[in-house]
This record gives sequence, C-alpha cells and structure tokens, in this order.
Amino acid sequence: MANLTISQLKKNYGNVEVLHGLDLTVNDGEFVSLIGESGCGKSTLLRMIAGLEEITDGTIAVDGRVINDVAPKDRDMAMVFQNYALYPHLTVAENMGFSLRLRNVPKAEIRPAVEDVAELLNLSPYLDRLPKALSGGQRQRVAMGRAIVRRPQVFLFDEPLSNLDAKLRVQMRVEIKALQRRLGTTSIYVTHDQMEAMTMSDRIVIMNHGKIEQIGAPLEVYDRPANVFVATFIGSPSMNLLDGVLERNADGIFIRTETAVIRVAGEISGQSGSNVIVGVRPEHLKIVADATEGSIPFDLDLIEPTGAETHLYGQTGKVLMTVALNDRFNAPLGSSLYLGIQEKHVHVFDKENGQRLN
Amino acid sequence: MTHRNFALAGGKIGTIIAVLVLLVWSVGPIYWSLATSFTSPTDLISAEPHFWPADMTLEHYAKLFGSTSMSQGNKVASVWPQFSRAIINSVITSVAATFITVAIAAFAAYAFARMKFPGRNVLFFVVVGTLAIPAYTVMIPLYRLMIALHLVDTYVGVTLIYVSAFLPLALWLMRSVYQSMPLSLEEAAWMDGAGRVYTLVRIIMPLAAPGLIAAAIITFLNAWGQFLVPLVFSPTLTTKPLTVLIPEFVSRNYVDYGLINAAGIIAIIPPVLVVLFLNRFLVSGLMAGATK
Ligand SMILES: Nc1ncnc2c1ncn2[C@@H]1O[C@H](COP(=O)(O)OP(=O)(O)OP(=O)(O)O)[C@@H](O)[C@H]1O
Ligand SMILES: [Mg+2]
Repeated sequence: MANLTISQLKKNYGNVEVLHGLDLTVNDGEFVSLIGESGCGKSTLLRMIAGLEEITDGTIAVDGRVINDVAPKDRDMAMVFQNYALYPHLTVAENMGFSLRLRNVPKAEIRPAVEDVAELLNLSPYLDRLPKALSGGQRQRVAMGRAIVRRPQVFLFDEPLSNLDAKLRVQMRVEIKALQRRLGTTSIYVTHDQMEAMTMSDRIVIMNHGKIEQIGAPLEVYDRPANVFVATFIGSPSMNLLDGVLERNADGIFIRTETAVIRVAGEISGQSGSNVIVGVRPEHLKIVADATEGSIPFDLDLIEPTGAETHLYGQTGKVLMTVALNDRFNAPLGSSLYLGIQEKHVHVFDKENGQRLN
Repeated sequence: MTHRNFALAGGKIGTIIAVLVLLVWSVGPIYWSLATSFTSPTDLISAEPHFWPADMTLEHYAKLFGSTSMSQGNKVASVWPQFSRAIINSVITSVAATFITVAIAAFAAYAFARMKFPGRNVLFFVVVGTLAIPAYTVMIPLYRLMIALHLVDTYVGVTLIYVSAFLPLALWLMRSVYQSMPLSLEEAAWMDGAGRVYTLVRIIMPLAAPGLIAAAIITFLNAWGQFLVPLVFSPTLTTKPLTVLIPEFVSRNYVDYGLINAAGIIAIIPPVLVVLFLNRFLVSGLMAGATK
C-alpha cells in the first residue's frame, strides 16, 4: 500500500524557485508519468519524492504520513537512474542483492530472490558478470532488477530508457509496464518521450516551467487538453492553432478565423466577439474537393510520406498548418487545396489565458 | 624530405633528447651512487673518473652488514647496529604516517567533497594552504610544543608531525578523486538503504582505491625522504631514521664516500619495493560500467 500525496510543493535553488507549489496525488498501484520540456522540473520533483533533494516548502506524504524529513534510505522507495548508476565493482547478482544484504536478509534467501528477478528480466546468464561486461540494455535491466528485488513501496524512474536505441526502448517499455502491472507497485515515471507516457501510464502529469499544466488519463489529455500548452505538447505532429473570434448566432457557435469559419459542436464558454484560439489535430483534417462550408483553404508546401501516414505541410493565410493523412497522397507542390474538419474534433482556447473553452 | 616530414623528424629527435636528459637527470645520480658503493677507497680518490669500478669491491657493504671490517688497513667495528636500527626507525615512522594520513584523508576528504557544512571551503583552503608554509618557519614553535608534550625523540611525535605535514596533500588529492565520482552512485546506495558511512566504505572507497594508493605512495615517499624534521626531533637512535644517520658517516677527518653510497643504495630499496607493490593496485578503469 502506498498512496502518495504531494501538496503545495516548492523548490528553490538559491533565490530561484524552480517548482511553484505542486499538488499531485498518486494512488496505490498507479503508474503516473511526469512529462514536460527539458528543465521544467521533472527530475527535481522525482528527487524530492526520493528524498535526494531538500524540500523548500510544502509536504510529501505516503499513506497520510508526511515524509519530508525521512532519509532516502528509510523511505522504502527504489529509483532507477537515467545513467543506471550500477556499482561497477560488484557483480550483477551483488548489485541486485545489495539492498537485501543491507536489510540483513539471510544469504540463503538473497540468492534465490535475485535469481527470480534475473529470470524475470532475462538476466540469468549474466549474474556473475561485472556491469562493464554488459550491453546498455542489459545494464538498464540490472538497474531495474536492483529496484524490483526488494519489493519497495514506490518505484521512481528518471528517464530510464533514454539511453537505449529506438527498438530496445519499445521493447523495454512493454516489459516495464507488464512488470509494474504484475507487481502492482505505485510508480512515478519521468520521461520526455510522449509515446512512453501515453502507452505506459494510468495518468500523465504534464509539467511546464515548474507548474503542473494538466493531470489526466492519456486519452483524456489527448482528447481534451486543458490549455494551449498541453494541446501543442501532446501529439505529434503537434496540433494546428488558428487565431479567431467567437461568434454565437441562431445557427450555432462558430469561430471566424482569417481564412475560414469553423463550426464548433457542443457547448462552449466565452462571449460572442471574444478572441480565441482554435486547435485541430493534423489527423482530424482531411482534403476536400472544393471550398465547402467550414473548409479551410490550404496551400501545399511539402509532402512527407512516413510510410504509415502522409504528412502535408502548408499554410492558410500566413499560418503554418500540418495535415496527417492515413492514405498515400500526391499533388503538385504549391497546389491550393481545401481542408475539412469534423466539428467534434475542434478545440477552442481562450486567447488571453490559453485555457480550454469547450 | 618535405617540410612537414622534417618538422616531424625534428619533433621526434627533440622528444628523444628530452627523454635522455630526463633519464640522466633521474637515474644518473643513482647509477653514480651504485658505482661508488662498489669502488675501493683508493680508486675513489684517483684522478681519472671511472664509469664502473675497475676492480669491484664489497668492502663498503661489508662495513654496513658485517660485525667487523677493515678500514684503511685497520680493523674497525661495523655500523650495522646503528644502521639496522635506523632502518627500523625509518620503516616504523613512514608506515605509521602513511596509514594514519591515508585513513584520515579517506574520510575527511569525503566530508570536504560531499557534505555541506558552514565554512567548508574556507576550512579546506586553510588546511591546504598550510602546504605553502615553509617547514623551517614552524620548526621552533613546533619544537617547543613537542618538548612540552614530551614527544621529542618518540615515534608518536615524529609520526604526528609527518601526518600533519602530509595530510593536506593527501586530502587535496582525495577530495578531487571523490568529486570526480558520479553522485548518482552514492544516491543509488542511499536509495538501496545504505547510510553515509556504509556507502563511503563499501561503494566509494573501493572505487577510489587508485586515489588512496596514490596518496599512500606520495605520503610514504615523503616520509621516507624526510630530513629536516627527524634532524630536529629524532636526536638519538631511539627514533633516528636513515636520512639522518647516513650523513653522520662523515667523520671529522675522513669522508667515507663508499660507505655513504652503499648505505644510500640500501636506503632506496624499501621505497622502491613499496612503490612496486602498491603500483599493482593502481589500475585504471574501475568505474567502467557504472553509467552509460
Ligand atoms: N543543483 C541545481 N542548482 C541550481 N539549479 C538547478 C539545480 N538542479 C536543477 N536546477 C534547475 O532546476 C530546473 C529543473 O531541473 P530538472 O533537472 O528538474 O529538469 P528536468 O525537467 O528533469 O529536465 P530534463 O528533461 O532535461 O532532465 C532547471 O531549470 C535547472 O536549471
Ligand atoms: Mg531530468
């Protein structure tokens, strides 16, 4: 059992405040990802949870007990470091058994426990090797094994896969997730790979400049981004944004942009005439034959076939736009095309504060 | 030969010359000492220099090790009792100073490298700054202090002085060794449940072994070669080391070059053995595999 409650957490380095009062609750057994641009404070938050970084203000509690002043060694959390931090003079088995030895677990029990975990991580043949005789992926797994073997209350991961090549990364991603499911251990996972965050997490925390922008399930964050930052941060290629003015009339709600009038489904806050930003994901745009009601004119600049999708780059008015099509597509560069939108996929944000309106 | 090749060849010749100069500079005196120790007293004062004694003699070594020996046709008592005693004194003070210095440096340097306490850097620079103080300026106050503590001509006294003299250098060396190690290793150990001291002893020190060995070598050589300190603080054979004893082989009207050089050659052997032995542990690449 480990429910983690973080409230009004602040961190200063000297006079610089890098975390500005974070609130976050992680439920028992949940897998939560922290994602955000480089320098936004993900590692700092994780290290504060681990006890490796002092807390300037606010509290961190496990199952209701504030642990601000508990030493890292007494928090019963395990951390997988970005650089693995294996003990280079100890064998794989000794690396993994280190924490058990410290807990005075009898030798006769340590070896089987280590062997079980090694089995799970396909490390059995390497138990007596030193870390320097392992590949990057194997080292990564040893770091994982070291964390798992002692069955901690909480797993903390700081970009554990960022040193691996793309293929191994996907494979480890699946393995870590499966493992976490099986163990049911509360986990916090720092990454700046949104694919990792989307596929592994129960919930995602999107951070920006030391603040939390949104917390939600992966698809919730994707489908209903709370603000412009989240809208553009999550999704690749990122969401198209157009400036416009909100219009309410008898026919419904519309956003009038420089080049189009886009209909919005459902309810929306904000007054008629207010300035807004319309967002549409590239994959929610399609090419339509002619100018129809609500279509957006699009001057094609570039076609990028990725295999699975075809990405079109171009502009409407002076605004750059991206379209992602599921099919192959060909047209002369410079063509004037029209884009259609499904109205249920239109996101509207307040121009002033960037918050979602619909 | 192109200009470039010429420059390259020139560079190579320069390197060779530099190496030769260095060799002559460092090995030359030892060679000369060795040759002298095998030269008979009559040849020693001959006008023409020999690079190797024409007829080798072991008489100087006999004077060192034998119970009696011949000198200038007279039968004299050997210096073995004094000489052996001085060897023991040298070994005891040097080894003790080395162990204590390295042990203190191993822990204290960690505190200076990793722990946060007020005045940390100031204190460190004050300690290391003592390296810049010439030994003779502190000799007199130090002498009065040692008299007051009844530590003159005792192993404890000499060892204490050595430790205080050589600790700053070892501390400096070890601090930079610790600073160069990835902090994440220590953090990983703490997360695994280890305390500070356990982490230091079981994780950090084994990886800092080359630094500790280097500190030990430097300290031992420094202590073994000390002259000024034992000259003042080791007046009798109770603690007098080789460095002070050997020059005393100069008597009022006769400088026994052969004996002095034979003793010097013997005095070189222990530090050479220590360096050879410790050198085996001075391996690099201990950190390989810790991080990606
Ligand atoms: N020891 C430190 N002293 C001063 N500032 C620091 C220190 N450590 C981190 N910072 C600052 O705190 C902010 C957050 O750093 P942090 O390492 O948490 O970022 P991050 O989100 O993990 O970034 P990345 O994705 O690059 O790892 C950064 O602006 C960084 O410059
Ligand atoms: Mg980071």
